[in-house]
Amino acid sequence: MSDLSHATPARRFRAPTEEAPLARWLLIGFVTLALAVLVFAPLIAIFVEALSKGWEAAWKSLFSREALPAIKLTLTVAAIAVPLNAAFGIAAAWFITKFDFRGKAFLITLIDLPFSVSPVVAGLCIVLLFGANTAIGAWLVAHGFPIVFALPGIVLATVFVTFPFVARELIPVMIEQGRAEEEAALTLGASGWRTFLTVTLPNIRWALLYGVLLSNARAMGEFGAVAVVSGRRESATTMPLKIEMFYNEYQGATAFAMAGLLAFLALLTLLLKTWLENRHAGELSANRRGH
Amino acid sequence: MGRPVVHRSPMPGLGLSMGITFTMLSIVVLLPIGALLLQGVSYGAEGIWATVNRERVWKALYLSFRLSFYAAVFNLIFGVILAWVLARYRFPGHRILDAAVDLPFALPTAVAGIALTALYAPNGFFGASWTHTIAPALNAGLAWPEAALNVLVTGLGFEPWSLQVPPRIAYSTMGIFIALVFVGLPFVARTVQPVIHEIDREVEEASATLGASRLHTLRRVVWPMLLPAALTGFALSLARAVGEYGSVIFIAGNKPLVTEIAPLLIVIQLEEFSYDGAAAIGIAMLVISFAMLLVINLIQVWSRRRIGYV
Repeated sequence: MSDLSHATPARRFRAPTEEAPLARWLLIGFVTLALAVLVFAPLIAIFVEALSKGWEAAWKSLFSREALPAIKLTLTVAAIAVPLNAAFGIAAAWFITKFDFRGKAFLITLIDLPFSVSPVVAGLCIVLLFGANTAIGAWLVAHGFPIVFALPGIVLATVFVTFPFVARELIPVMIEQGRAEEEAALTLGASGWRTFLTVTLPNIRWALLYGVLLSNARAMGEFGAVAVVSGRRESATTMPLKIEMFYNEYQGATAFAMAGLLAFLALLTLLLKTWLENRHAGELSANRRGH
Repeated sequence: MGRPVVHRSPMPGLGLSMGITFTMLSIVVLLPIGALLLQGVSYGAEGIWATVNRERVWKALYLSFRLSFYAAVFNLIFGVILAWVLARYRFPGHRILDAAVDLPFALPTAVAGIALTALYAPNGFFGASWTHTIAPALNAGLAWPEAALNVLVTGLGFEPWSLQVPPRIAYSTMGIFIALVFVGLPFVARTVQPVIHEIDREVEEASATLGASRLHTLRRVVWPMLLPAALTGFALSLARAVGEYGSVIFIAGNKPLVTEIAPLLIVIQLEEFSYDGAAAIGIAMLVISFAMLLVINLIQVWSRRRIGYV
């Protein structure tokens, strides 16, 4: 009796659907190096520059009389814009996935439109609609509710640039889940709201959180649209705009300290996002799963 | 006989969800864009043309669209490789790399802008070695090919060409290119990666069984399946780059006619309260962007139809 496995020398079998090990390691090396230069280096640079004068100086500059209002404004804008966006996303996803109507694809295109419009053009559009020299704008200013160069304009610009985020995460999930569970709840006599709160919401909560996360990151970081709408007014300066001001006033360390704070928030966002992708993959839209 | 616009449904909340959707869509997106178009109409085609048809505007538009195209092409190639490595290989650090791909989405553009400028400025970590070592060496190496080329070029009656690389990365078009690559980095990788996960390995096995080399399989079997998604990512990356403002203005140096991008011109026009001028450039950007996206969409439809893969 001869054992065939001894007849051939032990050599690792390479599946026909794999690349040669050398090619594979070259690709991995190339990608790692490229990401190190393109992504990790800028990230490290922010923290190195921010801490160039020590922790204490960086910390102090964030709580200065100049920096604090910007931080507050950014938080306020995000606190208004993100819930607005979430409400819109849920309503739009409900309308699109629970009803059949003509022009659905066109509606989705319109919702995605802000992705293909430059944020600067978005800001320009808002100035042209609500600026003090327009009819609507003048009326609003006369009634003590200026939009441009003030908080409402910044919120509007922020909602514009983050418009599709939540809806885009919810629509695929809700299409996949279908209408059967809601129909069952309604048949059993639940009201519309109760059906939404106890049947739909638990099914979409992680996808909703995912969309809110992306939306919040963009809301806190938006620069172009907000720069146009704020008109560089001191009272309408968000954190990203303040970074530019500090930077142009040669307060590099202060600019980077604030940048460091935003970068820290960005890292936190990525961490949460990765956790969601790993932990609740089944409840996210299909293209967010299985990295 | 007409079909109903909205089909009857037992689902509750039609009025509410439709109301919120259309109200917000109108106030946030449609009315503002309408205001831009209206401003353009009242300014008139001639007025728009008179604004756009100036050297400074043409140069800015050309710069924006040219560099965005280069950056999107870079991201297309790099993004497909990146998606392949992340989807198919497991190696130490895989998860960190996978998470890092999304950093450009999460990091505010102004933060990216000052970080890249700090790295690539002539006194920065990468910029210093470029300015003092790499660029002079490249230019010395390119000196004689350039001379040889220009013997031919001037012999044919053209202006001599320059193959010299700029001495600085920041404050030159190269800096703008790097910023645009950064902001568009995740798009292709993130649209292609899920498609790679869904590829049926049996298709690749079949190809191998029929005698195709690995490279041949990748080129003739796998690549056509990835192409539509890659094009989607390319289009998103391109649209993002064309409109990008925050990261670019820090690294560009913003020299009129040389490193001034189109969105910056809009901001300058607005600061001078020239709403017509700003609207004209904004409309020009919208029109060119939509034309480009339309072309990409048509290519996509064509490739889907040819390959028959959704």
